[in-house]
Amino acid sequence: MTDRLRELSLTLLLLLVLLALEFGMAFLPLARSLRPLILVPAALMVCLVGAVFMEIRQGPAIVRLFAIAGLLWLAILLGLGSLDPLTRVDLNVGAIATANQTMPSAIRNR
Amino acid sequence: MSDTMATHEFQYSSAEHQAETAISGMWLFLATEVLFFGALFLSWIYSRHWNQAGFDAGAQQTWLAIGTINTVILLTSSFVYSVGLAFIRAGNSRRLVQCCAVAWLLGVAFLILKFGVEWPDDIGKGLFPGHGFSIEGPLRGGAQLFFVFYFFGTALHGLHMLGGLGVVGWIIRRARRGDFSPAFHTPVSVVGLYWSFVDMVWIVLYPLIYLIGRGP
Repeated sequence: MTDRLRELSLTLLLLLVLLALEFGMAFLPLARSLRPLILVPAALMVCLVGAVFMEIRQGPAIVRLFAIAGLLWLAILLGLGSLDPLTRVDLNVGAIATANQTMPSAIRNR
Repeated sequence: MSDTMATHEFQYSSAEHQAETAISGMWLFLATEVLFFGALFLSWIYSRHWNQAGFDAGAQQTWLAIGTINTVILLTSSFVYSVGLAFIRAGNSRRLVQCCAVAWLLGVAFLILKFGVEWPDDIGKGLFPGHGFSIEGPLRGGAQLFFVFYFFGTALHGLHMLGGLGVVGWIIRRARRGDFSPAFHTPVSVVGLYWSFVDMVWIVLYPLIYLIGRGP
């Protein structure tokens, strides 16, 4: 009982430290595209809550299977769903049209 | 099964088998909930990618202090509930009731801050998407998209909190009746999983709403 209370208290403390870290990271001069890195402490916090408060290690094996399945489904959803926006190349159509017009006709008609 | 003895229904081989089935069932439900909220997170990725400046302009209008206090409240609530579970395993039903009551009150405090203080302030400042949206200029569209995510995400999470308060209240009522013992406390474990999951969702929503768009 005492061991469990100590484990829970340490976990809460660690969660609050991670929250403070995440809060501090929000004020770092990170580039806009790098700001999602602020989610790293949040991911650690989710792992801690799952491991200690939800006792995923103590449950039956099928519990870990369901947890892994949930994460896998989420990875597929977010991975495939964000594939297009994160990999699409934006072409500046106006600049291409201007370049075509200024290009020597011999090259343009090649 | 109001008996405090570790009895089991006929379809299970033992009380332990029944408890494992209930806990596994809750985990399977939570795996589907991950997908439910996953769609919300995907909408954030997609919308922010195409409207980064507008999204960040919206995020900078959110009330950071309340978001942070609410995060501390939910983390503490999950912690206190887990302490209650440890107490019932040690046979202390009175402490379980006290811990669940504190966890419940913290949940209520979260909802009051979110929907009784923060939402009215947001709406009063003209941040509800639509005709009277107060952010003007080229970032208006992206900021409106952010607030669609904000209101929808916090409402969905709030509904889950309401459900959680209902089942934590049910645990309190049963614990006061003396339904739980070290041998039988499966409902306390199952409700604890749900309560911590709602906390987990907020842990992800908090940086998406309040932190990522807030630069120096």
